[in-house]
Amino acid sequence: MRSMNPYHRHILNNGPAELEDISLVVALASLFGPTGCEDRVAHFVLEEARRLCDSASCDRMGNVVGRISLGDPQKRKRVMLSAHTDEVGFMIEEIKSDGMLTFGCLGGMDPAILAGKRVLVGNEKTLINGVICSKAIHHKKKSERDSAVDSDKLYIDAGFTSREEAEAEISVGDFATFDEPADNSFTFGRDGQTLKMKALDDRMGCAVLIELMRKLNRERESLSLDLDVYFCFTVREETGCSGAIVVSEKIAPDFALVFESTAVGDIPDAPSEKRVAELGGGAVISVADRSTIYDAELIDTAFKVAKKNGIPLQVKRYLSGGNDAGHIHKSGVGVRSLAISVPTRYLHSPTCVAHCEDYRSARAIGFAMLEAINEI
Amino acid sequence: MASEEKFDKDIENIKFQLQNEIIKLCSIATVSGFESRATEKVSSMYRDRLDSFYCDAVGNHILLRSCGRKDAVKIMIDAHLDEIGFVVTEVLDGGFLRIANIGGIDRAIIQGAEVTVLGDETLHGVIASTPPHLKGDDDKLPTIDKALVDVGLGYSKEELEKIACVGTPVIFDKTYTSLKNGRLAGPSFDNKACGAIAICAVTSLEPSELAGDVYITLSCREETASRGGAYLCANRISPDYAMVIDVNLANAPDVSERESVPMGEGISISYSSSTSRALTRECARLCKEGEIPFTPKAEPSSTGTNAVAVNIAGGGVPVVDVGLPLRNMHTYNEIIALDDCYSLYRFIRAFVTSRELAEGFAREEGEI
Repeated sequence: MRSMNPYHRHILNNGPAELEDISLVVALASLFGPTGCEDRVAHFVLEEARRLCDSASCDRMGNVVGRISLGDPQKRKRVMLSAHTDEVGFMIEEIKSDGMLTFGCLGGMDPAILAGKRVLVGNEKTLINGVICSKAIHHKKKSERDSAVDSDKLYIDAGFTSREEAEAEISVGDFATFDEPADNSFTFGRDGQTLKMKALDDRMGCAVLIELMRKLNRERESLSLDLDVYFCFTVREETGCSGAIVVSEKIAPDFALVFESTAVGDIPDAPSEKRVAELGGGAVISVADRSTIYDAELIDTAFKVAKKNGIPLQVKRYLSGGNDAGHIHKSGVGVRSLAISVPTRYLHSPTCVAHCEDYRSARAIGFAMLEAINEI
Repeated sequence: MASEEKFDKDIENIKFQLQNEIIKLCSIATVSGFESRATEKVSSMYRDRLDSFYCDAVGNHILLRSCGRKDAVKIMIDAHLDEIGFVVTEVLDGGFLRIANIGGIDRAIIQGAEVTVLGDETLHGVIASTPPHLKGDDDKLPTIDKALVDVGLGYSKEELEKIACVGTPVIFDKTYTSLKNGRLAGPSFDNKACGAIAICAVTSLEPSELAGDVYITLSCREETASRGGAYLCANRISPDYAMVIDVNLANAPDVSERESVPMGEGISISYSSSTSRALTRECARLCKEGEIPFTPKAEPSSTGTNAVAVNIAGGGVPVVDVGLPLRNMHTYNEIIALDDCYSLYRFIRAFVTSRELAEGFAREEGEI
C-alpha cells in the first residue's frame, strides 16, 4: 500500500495546534478510494470504528457501520449518521499497444478539469503514478481550442512503452483518482485554513463521523441521550448511492443525518442566485435538492440549535445536486432526513476548496442535532 | 562483464544526476519577461563551474566555459530560460485574481491547476473551475480573460493589491513525479530541461577537451517574442557555429507521426531551410559515429524555435536545431524520458568536443 505523504504524517504528529483536527481530514482525503474501490478508506474507518464503537463491521459491499448505544434501551431512537467513502475517479477501459491507458469517468466529471492532471492508477493492492494527457496546444487547430477535450480523447501516461509492460502491473477495470498535492500546500488562504485537495467530497463527512464517534465514546458517561447511533460509511455514492440503499434498509433508522460536501458557486462573475452558499459561512442545510425534500422540523431545529450554540449555519440557496439522503429517506417505512454539508468549491476536481471552519461547523451541528433528536 | 556492469551503473548515475539538475533548474520561476528575477538562483547553481556568468539588460543569461586556448572558435549553445506562466491583470474581492497567460497556454488545461502567485508574499492558489450549474449551454471553455486564481479566504481586495498587484507573475506549482521507464512529469521542462542538460554536459568536460569556447545562452522571451532573446545573444557573441536546443513535440495518441517525434528513442535533429544544412549533416554524422540515437525531423520552412533567429543574427550563424522529445507540452505535467536526456547529454558532449566541426565551421569573413 502506498505510504502516506510524509508531510501528512508530519502534521498528524507535530502539526500546528489549530490544524490538529484537520489532519484527520487530510489523512482521509489522501486515501485512494474511487467509486467501486473504496477498500483503503473502509479499512481506515473500520479501524477507528472498532476502537470506538460498541460494535463495528464491514459488509459485503464495503460499507462500514459502527454502533454506539447510549442511555435507556427502551427509549432509544435509531439515528443513522452517514458519509460516503468513495470519491470521483476513473476506470481503465483499454490498454493501448503503446502502453497508454484510456479511461471512463466514475461520477460526474467535467472534461474541462481533466487534461494535465496527475493521477494514481491501480486497485486495492497496487498504485502507480500517471498523468492525464491530451494533444498539445501546438497540435490543436484553432477550432479545437474553444472547447474542453472529451474524456474519450484523453489518456493516462504512466510511462509504459508497450501493452505487455503495462499489463504486468495494470488491468482493464483498474481504477484511478486524482493525486494529492505533492508539496505541502494543501492549506492556503490568509489564515492558512482554506483547504485544497482531492476527495474532500466526502472525506470531510467521513472525518465528521469519526470525530463524533470519538466524542460519544469519550463522553458517553456524561451524556444523557437515549440513542442508538449508527455511523455509516457508505460506498458508491457517486454512481447511484448503492451503498446507502443497502445500509439504510438494514438499519431501518428513525432519523438520518447525511454529512456531505455541496458544490458552491461563490466566485466572481456568478449571479447571486447561483452562488448556492458562501465558503466560510458555516455548514449548509439543504431544504431540498434534486433527490430529496428534507424534513421540515429537522431543518427548523438545525437553525434553532445553531443559533443557541453560536454555530454558523447557512441555507443552500439553489436547488441542485443530490446525495445518499435521496435513497435513505425513502428506505424502510420512511426516514426523517437532514443533509449537513460543508460548502466546497470546485467539487469533483483535484483541487476541491473548502474552509476548516465550515467543516468544524458541520461537526458541531452534527452533535447538536443528536441532542435535539433525542428531545423530538 | 564486470566492466559492462560498471558502465551501466555509470550511465544510471549520470541519468540520476541529470534528473536532479533538471528538477533544480526547472523549479526556479522564469516566466517570460521575469527572467532576471532568477539571476541570483541560476548564478549560484552554476558560477563555480564556469569562467563567466552574465545577465544582460533584457534577461538573457550567458554562461561561458572557455577552452583556455587563444583564438579558439566560439560555440554557442542556446536553450531558452523562460517558461510559460500568467500575470495578474486584476485584483478582486473575496480572494480572487484575474490573470492572463504569458506564452501559449491551452484553456483546456488550466481549470483546477495549482498555482503559485509570486507577489511580495508567495501565495498558493487554484485556478477556478466553473461549477456545472454556472456553465453555459454551448460547452465552450471560458475565455482566458475570465480565468480566476482563488487564493483562499480572508484577503480583502486592498490587502491583496498590496501583496499581488497587477503585473505579478503566476506560475504552475513546481511539483515533479516519476513515471515508469525513467519518465519524469512536471512543469517547465520546456525548456530548462535542455538548459540543465547542456550545462551538465559542457561542464562535465575538461577545458582542454573542448573544441572552442562554449557559450551557453539561457535566453529570454522565447515563449512570447517572435525572435526572442537568443537573437541578441548571437549578436553579442558572434559565434562561429551554434546549436539551438528546445523541446520537441513527442508522439502521442491522436497525433500523427509526421507531426511528432518518438519518445525514448533519442533526440531529434531538425532539417529545415532555417538552419545550416552542412552543420545538420555533420551533427547527424556525429550521432551515427557515437551511436547516439536520434530521429531526423523535417521542418521545412521553420523549426519554430530560436534557431530561426540565431541563424540570421551576428552576420549569419550556421545553426543546428536539436530537440528533446516532450509530451503534454505547455502543461504543468510535461513528460520527458531520462533516456532521451542522456542521449542529448552525449550529443552535446560530442558537439562541443568535435575538432572537425571547429575546423569546418570556423568563421571566415569575406571581403565585400
